[in-house]
Amino acid sequence: MTGQQLKNSILQEAIQGHLIPQNNSSDEPAIKLLECIHKEKVELVKAGKLKKKDLEIEPILAEEYPFEKPSGWEFARLSDISLDSADGPFGSNLKKEHYTSQKQVRIIQLSNIGELGWRDANVKYTTFEHLKTVSRSEAFAGDIIIAKMMPAGRAIICPNADTKYVLSSDAVRFAFSTLLDRRYLYYAINSPVFKDQVYGEVQGITRVRTSLSKLRTYILPIPPLSEQKRIVEKIDELLPLVDEYEKAAGELETLNKVLPEKLRKSVLQEAIHGTLVANDIPEGEATATELLQQILKERQKIENKEKGSKAKKIALSTIEEEPWELPEGWCWARLGDVMTFVNGRAYKKDELLSSGKYKVLRVGNFFTNDSWYYSDLELPEEKYCFNGDLLYAWSASFGPWIWEGDKTIFHYHIWNVKFNDCWLYKKYLYWFFEADKHIIKESTTGSTMVHVSMENMMPRMIPIPPLSIQHRIVEKIEEVFSTIDKLC
Amino acid sequence: MAFSWKAARDIMRKDSSVSTEYQRLEEFVSLVFLRIYNALEEEWADEADSNGKSYTPAIPEEYQWGAWAVKRADGTSLTGDALVEHINALYKHCATMSVVGLEPRQMIVRKVFQGLTQHMRDGYQLRQLIDLVNELNYHDAKQRHLFGQMYEEMLRIMQSSKETGEYYTPRAVTKFIVEQLNPQLGEKFGDFACGTGGFLTAAIDHLHAQGVETKKQVEQLQTAIVGCELKAIPYLLCATNMLVHGIDNPAITQGTAFSKNINDYDEKDKVNVVGMNPPYGGMTTSTELTNFPENVRTSETAVLFLAYICKRLKADGRAGVIIPDGFLFGSDNASIEVKKILLKEMNLHTIIRLPSSVFAPYTSITTNILFFDNKRAADAPDGFKTKEVWVYRMDMPDGYKHFSKTKPILPEHMQVVKGWWENRVEITDPTDDPTKVTYKAKCYSAKEIEESSYNLDLCKYPKEEEVILSPDELLRDYHERRVALDAKIDATLKTIQALLKK
Repeated sequence: MTGQQLKNSILQEAIQGHLIPQNNSSDEPAIKLLECIHKEKVELVKAGKLKKKDLEIEPILAEEYPFEKPSGWEFARLSDISLDSADGPFGSNLKKEHYTSQKQVRIIQLSNIGELGWRDANVKYTTFEHLKTVSRSEAFAGDIIIAKMMPAGRAIICPNADTKYVLSSDAVRFAFSTLLDRRYLYYAINSPVFKDQVYGEVQGITRVRTSLSKLRTYILPIPPLSEQKRIVEKIDELLPLVDEYEKAAGELETLNKVLPEKLRKSVLQEAIHGTLVANDIPEGEATATELLQQILKERQKIENKEKGSKAKKIALSTIEEEPWELPEGWCWARLGDVMTFVNGRAYKKDELLSSGKYKVLRVGNFFTNDSWYYSDLELPEEKYCFNGDLLYAWSASFGPWIWEGDKTIFHYHIWNVKFNDCWLYKKYLYWFFEADKHIIKESTTGSTMVHVSMENMMPRMIPIPPLSIQHRIVEKIEEVFSTIDKLC
Repeated sequence: MAFSWKAARDIMRKDSSVSTEYQRLEEFVSLVFLRIYNALEEEWADEADSNGKSYTPAIPEEYQWGAWAVKRADGTSLTGDALVEHINALYKHCATMSVVGLEPRQMIVRKVFQGLTQHMRDGYQLRQLIDLVNELNYHDAKQRHLFGQMYEEMLRIMQSSKETGEYYTPRAVTKFIVEQLNPQLGEKFGDFACGTGGFLTAAIDHLHAQGVETKKQVEQLQTAIVGCELKAIPYLLCATNMLVHGIDNPAITQGTAFSKNINDYDEKDKVNVVGMNPPYGGMTTSTELTNFPENVRTSETAVLFLAYICKRLKADGRAGVIIPDGFLFGSDNASIEVKKILLKEMNLHTIIRLPSSVFAPYTSITTNILFFDNKRAADAPDGFKTKEVWVYRMDMPDGYKHFSKTKPILPEHMQVVKGWWENRVEITDPTDDPTKVTYKAKCYSAKEIEESSYNLDLCKYPKEEEVILSPDELLRDYHERRVALDAKIDATLKTIQALLKK
């Protein structure tokens, strides 16, 4: 249940007289009220302020009643109870060129007609001079202003904050007889009873709208005056509570919405801190330090092979301060020491085709963009990625991805991460990168953009557990994550 | 080898009978205690001697540090199986020593050893460990600070073994709280979940600064602190800490604070000032719960402690307590009941909200300091002893995104809070939207709070800080918030329904 649904329900009940016990026979029946209003209008015709045809009342037939009429009440059309009504000017009569920065005549636009109240946004004024040319559209404090669209039929009471007001072309005004409670009318027009009539006859599909002439025909229930006041009092009591409800419901919704992602981050943090799974290392299994030694040996072999006599001695980078304490058997290493990041190739625009031999994987394809470019270029093997490769995007959106697909060219801003799976489990690296993503984002202060590059990636530190623990962690993460997915 | 926890741990790792980190801590700290206590007894003996009196040590000659632990230059230091046998006998003796004829300041040995176990079986590693302890120069103030750090290590260990609740309160925060409470010589300062004694030592330092010279003042300082600690190792550390700070017979009980009905405390059990950071979470036993009135019974230990503290404060007493966010917005019966107590039976005058990384790296839980007095505020409305509550939100200092192990909260960061404390004004947050005003500091009347269903979650942090809690803490926080929101939604809808029927 949304706050809006509750409000509508309350208004509906109120306007039908269901909220207050209906046995106040001391109230003057509404029929008398309507008679007085008619007399009022007759006087205005005599004074030349209204035309004779404004006195016409089209009777309301029983089948037109929106609901069963409570005793003492009447139904009336807006035209019956209003002393004056007007449309906004034609669009061309009130445009930008007529605006002024001075606070003269405030223009009432759709954006000012808020849900149950004046919205003081989109401040625009026109001049007193210009008002004279569209004087029929002047609005007065206390008028009921109704929006023709977006949404059609929404009403507010014109405030008294500016010197003068004028309608924009999307709004209409009604000056109702002061014999009726203005706030009652305002609530009644905003209730489903009235709105249903508006929506029963709207025009247009994208810009659903009503018109002044239609609005004048719609029916409102008119209770005795004291009843009107009681209804207003009751609604005023209830609406703030609905706002409170809506706020709490909204907070609850947000709370539930953010929980799965927060849980995932939390689990990943536990994983790389070594507290997600039991640290039972089987007898004889290599510790992480031993794994590192193997990696080092291998790198040295490659170095010797490639550089021959000019080969340098490869050593692990020093780690001055460990980010956090690790369990037994784990150790820290810098990414640059244990894996290689192979750069993707940068392409010129004309090299990207709409069809060809190989797909070209770009960062956009990682996250949202489904459209692919192709290329026929035959390149060195390392410029392609293959099914199962661990990739890392490093542009504004960044993070790991395990590629599932055929031989594909990968673009600049993507690295292919190379490592020896005798010592490092691919999926552990993937989940580490995911967890590290959050750490990177966390460490950027304020408005500085996150900048992931080879220089700042290589020294980043990864906690390495023994191989069996790497597997166990991945298993646990996948298990917990699939359960978390059920929350969504 | 330099005296350090890391070095100690590395030695003990070679003895398989000390298998958990917790046991290693226990082993190491017990030796440290023995070393320090022995040094103290030597001091007391010297003092007695110079006064023409005699002093009988609590620890008999064969077990004194000099007899078996000090390294001998000729290489005949006790080691191997003989050492293990000797130390086991020492532990047994200390745990069961007769109290007949003991001075009060000697009682602590038995109290401490009653909770301890000697774990090591490898006498050669034990010898190494003892040699390491010999490196401790406990006269060095910096080294004394090491005790606090050792406890930090222990807390971290406790957390990874999923024991929750207790967090080492950063020095900057304990100092701030003690300064605002301003205990005076002659008053009693209590911490009923004292841990290693952070608050107690802060109080002692604060009292020292007032000048302790006369015999009366010395006496007052000696009897100023009152503490209670449930767990054996923190108790050991606290006791050692107190000895080192010159409190010879610290009034610290080892055991649960909730040992009797909270309404049964009489004047002699009460203190003038309470400063503490109670454990959070649910570790209260059902027996302990029976000591509380039914309407405050809850699994949240921190809430129970609030009710407890109210009963142990003397009239006109004052308290500063660190409490998690959950209590502020909590709408379960116990939280509401305790909030009512704080507003109606106490003067809850100030709440300082602390940023979430204050307790880094142990936890990112968000906490607050509640300051309340056991007296009626002037002009408090009928039925209340609190007139109004000032809430102040402490923001991160410039240049800090979070506090961390390497960038912890420092005493100078509390200066801005102290400045505001003396000169309380409402402070609004900068905003572009004049219709949406939020506050950094604001005064709320007790009535206002009552009408909002005792929601003290005020002057909130503007943006939900993106801190990653552990899954346990995250889910606990989620539950508390959901329960609170559900309760609020239900209450609002109920009121709406009632109005619709009337």
